[in-house]
Amino acid sequence: MAAHPGRRPLGPRLRRHVWAWALFAIMIVIAVVMLYPFWYMADNAFRSPGQFDRQSGHSLAGWSELFANLPVASQMLNSTLVCAAAIAIILVVSTSSGFAFAKLRFRGSGTVFLLVVSALMVPLQSIIIPEYVNLAKLGLTNSYAGAVLVYAALGTPFATFLMATYYRGISDELIEAAIIDGLGYERTFLRIALPLSLPAIATVTVLQFIQIWDDLLVGLLFLPPGQRTITAGLATLSAGRTTSIPALMAGSLISAVPAIVVYLIFQRHLVKGLTLGMGR
Amino acid sequence: MSRIELDSVTKRFPDGTTAVRALDLRVGDGELLVLVGPSGCGKTTALRMIAGLEAVTSGTISIDGVVVNDVEPRHRDIAMVFQSYALYPHLSVYENMAFSLRYRGARKSEIQARVAEAARILELEPYLRRKPRELSGGQRQRVAMGRAIVRQPRAFLMDEPLSNLDAKLRVQMRAEIAQLQRSLGTTTVYVTHDQTEAMTLGTRVAVLSGGVLQQVAPPTELYRRPANLFVAGFIGSPPMNLIDARLERGDGGPLVVFGPHRLRVPPSVLAGHSGLDRYLGEPVVVGIRPEHLADAALAGAPPAGPAGGPAPGGPAAGESVIELPISLREELGSEVHLHATIGAAAHAGAAGDGDDVRSLATIVARADPRSRIAEGTIARLVVDAAELHFFDPATGASIRDG
Ligand SMILES: Nc1ncnc2c1ncn2[C@@H]1O[C@H](COP(=O)(O)OP(=O)(O)OP(=O)(O)O)[C@@H](O)[C@H]1O
Ligand SMILES: [Mg+2]
Repeated sequence: MAAHPGRRPLGPRLRRHVWAWALFAIMIVIAVVMLYPFWYMADNAFRSPGQFDRQSGHSLAGWSELFANLPVASQMLNSTLVCAAAIAIILVVSTSSGFAFAKLRFRGSGTVFLLVVSALMVPLQSIIIPEYVNLAKLGLTNSYAGAVLVYAALGTPFATFLMATYYRGISDELIEAAIIDGLGYERTFLRIALPLSLPAIATVTVLQFIQIWDDLLVGLLFLPPGQRTITAGLATLSAGRTTSIPALMAGSLISAVPAIVVYLIFQRHLVKGLTLGMGR
Repeated sequence: MSRIELDSVTKRFPDGTTAVRALDLRVGDGELLVLVGPSGCGKTTALRMIAGLEAVTSGTISIDGVVVNDVEPRHRDIAMVFQSYALYPHLSVYENMAFSLRYRGARKSEIQARVAEAARILELEPYLRRKPRELSGGQRQRVAMGRAIVRQPRAFLMDEPLSNLDAKLRVQMRAEIAQLQRSLGTTTVYVTHDQTEAMTLGTRVAVLSGGVLQQVAPPTELYRRPANLFVAGFIGSPPMNLIDARLERGDGGPLVVFGPHRLRVPPSVLAGHSGLDRYLGEPVVVGIRPEHLADAALAGAPPAGPAGGPAPGGPAAGESVIELPISLREELGSEVHLHATIGAAAHAGAAGDGDDVRSLATIVARADPRSRIAEGTIARLVVDAAELHFFDPATGASIRDG
């Protein structure tokens, strides 16, 4: 009898402990599964084909083969230019339209917003041919501009949705305070809404960067060989010019670095941005 | 310095809600007008229309004689203090206060001087570099005030600026706001749902209910001469006791009769309420403020010695004393509240509020703390009949002059 009440509070605490350790173990398994390909890529990027077959020894043979077959530097630059331009367009459009959908009262705002959001559900593959025809008629195929526009068009609906949701989380009174303080809606947007939405902007930037950087289809279809992105370039590499796996691994490694860097830069804001607007 | 005038202002929202109905209001130059009423009565809507944040459905709003219905908020030159303060979270206290001046093209030296002055008045000098989230509630409130005063606007609009503060700080800030407003002399409309705040702050108080203006008057006038049942029940704490009664003809003048109780209406009251004549033999609602009910043992006693003796020369004692069973005694230190059950219907729904205590057949007396009346006993309470209020049960309007 006497031992009973003493043991009872220990039960839940013990169970919580076990649960925490189980969770920890699951996380470790997930981390290993996620990180193993990375490690495999990094490890095999520094081998020659022979070393790869034997899975022992390291060398820079893969790298020299990569640089011999692919204009890595210029393709990295292409990727960067296309990404930067597309993201710039996406940010300009999505922040201003998101603000308008969230904070301005205008006729048809709900319908237009719904249209924009429904564009989220259209898969790229189903419109890529009409898109190509459109751009061809505009004379924009075989140039950066065409690819940039397609990327911007693909990224904007989700970005607008995210920005609008974020701006809805900013209190109306804050916007009204600025209006009463003498700012028009334009400057209220620039001076108040925009600085406050940095976490959402970071989120959009990272997500779009990863999406655009890793994209193959648009890059292959809309860019001429001389202006290819690194992802498209790597695809052509494996499609004939070399079958050296270490060279491919080296290329994959170098093309993964920018995404990781961008993610690390914005990571702190990213988490805030994804959870904000869900109440306070 | 300016006058604000609302002429028959109505606000109907697209969903059909009429938040404000034909509101007439004049705020004089330098005046502090308090807009008070229960939640949802349209106070914020009225304020937002003055600020220009909400369009007027019909009627006109003018500032200094100029109709501003179609003037954008930023050109009305009015500052507003929001309930949530709405401080810019990414800017420092200094930047928050300087913000508006900066965008109105003030010179840098001018901005610095004005912010410094406001910071001095509001004792914000140590916090100028901090962000709003690093401030306490009271300090944030001060920054919100500071943001308004640096602008030196034509008028201040304040929407429940103290409702986020704890009780003690609220009383302190209330005094500070009153002082500040007086020394600046800026025309101010102050919104609150707290009648105590309204009474202590306002030079005049406008009582709003269901979007309809009930009465505008100085605080004492509101308290002593409420225009209708709503104002009578809303102003004062604890609220006025409102009882369904009948006015009957007695030997020495009219009597108020409710349940087994009868109260003589003294000639002085009759003189001031000539309209009462028409209600003889009719139902009326009688209002008694809690402080006008006193412990008979203490009230009549001092000159006559021990309690119980008929007060010589006064009105017939039997017709100003009522005997009631006491259901609750609340000690407040400086006074005691005695809750008594009356043998008659309390007037229901006078203030239109669901949470109103008056639906219970209970009245409250505010008695001297020396009173020894205990719970569960029958108490003799003296009614100060000279202070009775009368209302028409059908219209709710105060019965005064015929
Ligand atoms: N944008 C709107 N659309 C429709 N109805 C509204 C809108 N804003 C307010 N209302 C309604 O108008 C009425 C008055 O609202 P208001 O905010 O002015 O009340 P209030 O007196 O300030 O109340 P509180 O003391 O709770 O702040 C309420 O019934 C409210 O539901
Ligand atoms: Mg309100």
